[in-house]
Amino acid sequence: MSPRPGFVLEVDKSTPATLMWHGEGFRLERLPVGTRIVYGPEPLDPLADPDSAIRQALENPLGDSQPLRSLLFAGMRLTIAFDDISLPLPPMRSPDVRQRVIEAVLDLAADAGVDDVVLIAALALHRRMTDPELRHALGDRVFEAFAPQGLLLQHDAEDPSNLVHLGLTEHGEDVEINKRAAESDLLVYVNINLVTMDGGHKSVATGLASYRSLKHHHNVRTLLNSRSLMDEHNSELRNSNWRMGRLIAASGVKIFQIETTLNTNTFPDQMAFLQKREWEWSLRDRATFLAASSALQRTPAGLSRKIFHSVEAPHNLTSVQTGEVEAVHHSTLANIYRQQLVEVQGQTDVLTMGLPYICPYNVNSTMNPILVACLGLGYFFNLYRNKPLVREGGVLILSHPTPWEFNPVHHPSYIDFFEQVLAETTDLFEIEAKYEESFATDPWYVHLYRTSYAYHGVHPLYMWYWCAHALQHLGRVIVVGGDRAAVRRLGFSPASTLNDALEIAEDVVGRDPTITHLHVPPLLLADVT
Amino acid sequence: MTKRVRGEATLGRGGARFVAERPTRPGGVVADLPRRKLGIDYDTAWARRYPVRLARAIVLDDFSKPVLRVALSPRVFGLEHLDPVEGPMILAANHASHLDTALLLSILPSWLRHRTIVAAAADYFFDRHWKAAVWSFGLGAIPMERSKVNRRSADLAARLIEDGWSLIIFPEGGRTADGWGREFKGGASYLAKRCGVPVVPVHIRGTRAVLAKSSSRFRPGSTEIRLGDALRPDDAEDARKFAARIELAVAGLADEAESDWWSARRRAAAGTTPPFRGPEVSAWRREWALPDSARKDQPPARERLKHKPWKPDND
Amino acid sequence: MKALQFERNLSRFAAARVASGLVGSGKGVRVGPLELVEIEPFALPGPGWVRVRPRLAGICGSDLATLDGRSSRYFEQIVSFPFVPGHEVVCDVDSGNLEGRRAVIEPVLGCATRGIDPPCPGCASGRKGSCERIAFGHLRPGLQTGYCRDTGGGWSTGLVAHESQLHEVPDDLSDEDAVMVEPAACAVHAACAADIAGGERVMVLGAGTLGLCVIAALRSLCLPGSLVAVAKHSDQRRLARELGADQVVRPGEQRRAARRISGSLALETGDGHIERLTGGVDIVVDCVGSADSLKQCLDVVRPGGRVLLVGMPGVVRVDLAPLWQREIELRGAYAYGTEDRPEGPRSTFALALELVREARLGRLVSARYPLESYEDAVAHAAAAGRRGAVKIVFDLRKGGSSTDATRGAGSERPQVARTTKEAQ
Repeated sequence: MSPRPGFVLEVDKSTPATLMWHGEGFRLERLPVGTRIVYGPEPLDPLADPDSAIRQALENPLGDSQPLRSLLFAGMRLTIAFDDISLPLPPMRSPDVRQRVIEAVLDLAADAGVDDVVLIAALALHRRMTDPELRHALGDRVFEAFAPQGLLLQHDAEDPSNLVHLGLTEHGEDVEINKRAAESDLLVYVNINLVTMDGGHKSVATGLASYRSLKHHHNVRTLLNSRSLMDEHNSELRNSNWRMGRLIAASGVKIFQIETTLNTNTFPDQMAFLQKREWEWSLRDRATFLAASSALQRTPAGLSRKIFHSVEAPHNLTSVQTGEVEAVHHSTLANIYRQQLVEVQGQTDVLTMGLPYICPYNVNSTMNPILVACLGLGYFFNLYRNKPLVREGGVLILSHPTPWEFNPVHHPSYIDFFEQVLAETTDLFEIEAKYEESFATDPWYVHLYRTSYAYHGVHPLYMWYWCAHALQHLGRVIVVGGDRAAVRRLGFSPASTLNDALEIAEDVVGRDPTITHLHVPPLLLADVT
Repeated sequence: MTKRVRGEATLGRGGARFVAERPTRPGGVVADLPRRKLGIDYDTAWARRYPVRLARAIVLDDFSKPVLRVALSPRVFGLEHLDPVEGPMILAANHASHLDTALLLSILPSWLRHRTIVAAAADYFFDRHWKAAVWSFGLGAIPMERSKVNRRSADLAARLIEDGWSLIIFPEGGRTADGWGREFKGGASYLAKRCGVPVVPVHIRGTRAVLAKSSSRFRPGSTEIRLGDALRPDDAEDARKFAARIELAVAGLADEAESDWWSARRRAAAGTTPPFRGPEVSAWRREWALPDSARKDQPPARERLKHKPWKPDND
Repeated sequence: MKALQFERNLSRFAAARVASGLVGSGKGVRVGPLELVEIEPFALPGPGWVRVRPRLAGICGSDLATLDGRSSRYFEQIVSFPFVPGHEVVCDVDSGNLEGRRAVIEPVLGCATRGIDPPCPGCASGRKGSCERIAFGHLRPGLQTGYCRDTGGGWSTGLVAHESQLHEVPDDLSDEDAVMVEPAACAVHAACAADIAGGERVMVLGAGTLGLCVIAALRSLCLPGSLVAVAKHSDQRRLARELGADQVVRPGEQRRAARRISGSLALETGDGHIERLTGGVDIVVDCVGSADSLKQCLDVVRPGGRVLLVGMPGVVRVDLAPLWQREIELRGAYAYGTEDRPEGPRSTFALALELVREARLGRLVSARYPLESYEDAVAHAAAAGRRGAVKIVFDLRKGGSSTDATRGAGSERPQVARTTKEAQ
């Protein structure tokens, strides 16, 4: 049976309760009659033989590019860069896509007799990956071949001796990237595309860049002009990255881009009910749901966090394309649309969504309130093309416990940002003007970014900027079931239940508002007309 | 009247202390340097006396062998190559793990096992008294220099072989670091020539995955031991050439372990046996080319959430 | 005359100490040596002394420590029993230069009050707090009014004061403003003792009355580069921000805040929790005076920095290794006298009167109690932070508010006196 496309359900009296994520747990909510629920397409069938698909793709590149085999020669300097821990979400079952691709690339490199090979995790200003995380992404063979010799590197955006400034784009944007990558004979980038924002020129121009480069597009103005981040035709973030990427190519850096897409088979069998439409839940699904949610209520927070973060998703390869960056990305986007696109007619007054326990920036750690805001307003709000799902001045309702908790090793600068900066102001331009420099240059944060497993000092501000478009567009943001003090600190309104939230929303949008509920994850992209 | 000084010994209640504490040395006396016979000078003769040999036999037969059988599930090939050998022999094996010696001893027939000594690196196994005692007892080890032939240890080994002891030796001189073999040194071949005894090549497969060098991970697995045809040196052959021939024989056994006996024999005949020391390329490619059985065991790729979350102190 | 009198009674002293240790501060008053008694009016100890009648008298942290039996034995030789506590007093003056006017009392009993001439070096230079004759002269030993048998104290309906102790209260200041002058003077003196050249990073530990006044004084009289307050309770944090703190944090977070404003590096436990800073803030003002607070000060001050102890400490056990290794200066700030200001030497109390007006410190008076309700008053004062209050005072005025306690700034819940609550 082929996977069914996504669709929009209108809730009526026969509609069963809807599953809504709530951090490390889920709830069943009865949405009001007339609510539209946007369901994504079912997961596409994965490629039957991913390894041979990858090998084929390496032989048959797209765009102006030779097959990888002919680009490799003995005595060359080869660098293989790969996407970091923020992808895919949740982490994939072994073997990870990066493992498959990099093993295939290295087989070719071994055949060609290439000795000088370095692997780089393209993490920009994210945190370094731990050894177990690298092992999981790359596989044991690759890890053992490179890590003990010190040839498995993590991009260090604060190491001036390993950065090279390639010039300014036509808009005056600095392009400064990893030196080893820029000065190699060939840079192979291994990418996973979960959403349409990923990939293309952004892989190298952001993933291997320095703060000096990033601040040209990771800023409030750019993000306000990205409507949405997922829409390639309307995203200033994408445009800036494209300018930078073209400059990188023009300055002689030879890039062989390998992009992959995954299906949305996000949850393992034990949690299959999370994938399925509620009216299609079998007896087993209903029983599992009940068992899981009552068990979770009794489980202490630390343990339930461990349980959730150990979930490995069975999502699998649906396409792989290699070669010249822009041609490859064009094909990748088509594949993502094939999996994720849903047509939605018109906007509503209110948009609701349940937020899961994981976002790109808290793999293996706590989701702190800033990340809750970023996931809801930065990512999920932006899962649209043409127009947002909610009208201008409308209300966004999020469901997440929003604990006032931070992981002090991964997110040290977030603590200070939440405690000091947000306590004073939530205004984006004010924060950018007054605080960005001190957070970006604080020597302690730099030290932790370079030597520990901490996100860069400026990262929490980027998370806040990511909410820019939503903050400007919406009339109010309400968080259901969240820690009241934390929610208020974010500048949002707390509510205990969804009904309370809808009542509060009525103050903003009037009585009997129209409501859309975004049923994610699994991911989708709404094409709103 | 002068007070009489009574010269009684100052013991009294301090008797135990007197015995326990060493006397202090007066200033004008020059002391000899303390001499400790360790390392290459350690005397292992005590471990070959009958009562100790008996005890060792019991430990090896009744304790080590069953334990190793469970942990390493060894399969043995080629024991028949031991039958035609009369008298003592030298067993030359590849070396990947600390488990190799005990494993090899455990699969030998008991008549051979009880009359075998093992050459062990003097700087590693004999650097402390307790270690020297443990290995001499448990494995029948004698100290040996790793790289060059030391006069005394060579004499000792030769004498013991002439007395009828068989010798287990690892010509690589140490365990492999990257999974590929190292050059075979001349110790085994020198002793074979000097004492006129044959060398039986041995290949041990799979111990690196159980317990690798520089790793404390122990993961039970399966192992294979192959013994080959006994080799005798030609009169014309010097020790170095003979060592190379032994290395080639072990490489042939390794090839057989990875493929099958017939293909390995044909390659041996054609001179195309894959080199024991692996390809001469960069480190990552050597690792890339390793057969699975020579890989280290991998730790599970599970990240534990271990950091205590930061929470504000509330009112 | 009614007064609360503090007897020397060792067994009751001990009982108070035990009670406060077991059930909490301020609870020892019930079993302690404080009693409400009728006493004869005090004799005037000499020329220049006048009779005054308190209008409002504050309860101070040092009073609480005394009542709990927790104050240092250091003070035993410079107090004389029995005494009437209360050194934060605004009163009506019955005779002398300020007859018929309101005044605040500067409690320190220096040479002038003791009739000692020539005055000691301290008093001669205007630093009455450093008087070297506090156990001599024609007064019994007593470092301040409120600790001396001969003078009486604020927690009564009448006491005596030397004219040199009286400062006139301008008409535009309320009684609440005036009762805050003495704590404000401590704060002013502390702010000047902090010796801020301009631009330093200052952290104030503790946001009770003293801490809040210190914040106001620092903001008004000095030019700190940034001023961080560490406050335990949310009401305190709000007031700290209103009085001029740039940033307010909870206790337990002062290391992190100090690290951030000074840009220092840190030594962490493996878990990411900050154990020690390699740098720190320039000046730390300790307005808590507990066993832990000195350690906390040493944790956040930079090498070569200054720690100022303003809150009355007791006997504490602290590791001085950081003090030595980082060459930290530890300074005490007590009471008031004369301050060196850019415009010339000025009396601390004069500066305090200005500060009280400028920062509207009268709003820190949270509740008023009659003398009869002294047990409730002391209990409230001891739990002030937790109960959303700052300064608790005794109200000795006739009529209206003398039999009930009313709400003031900072208190959330109305206080109930022994009599029924009357509408405000």
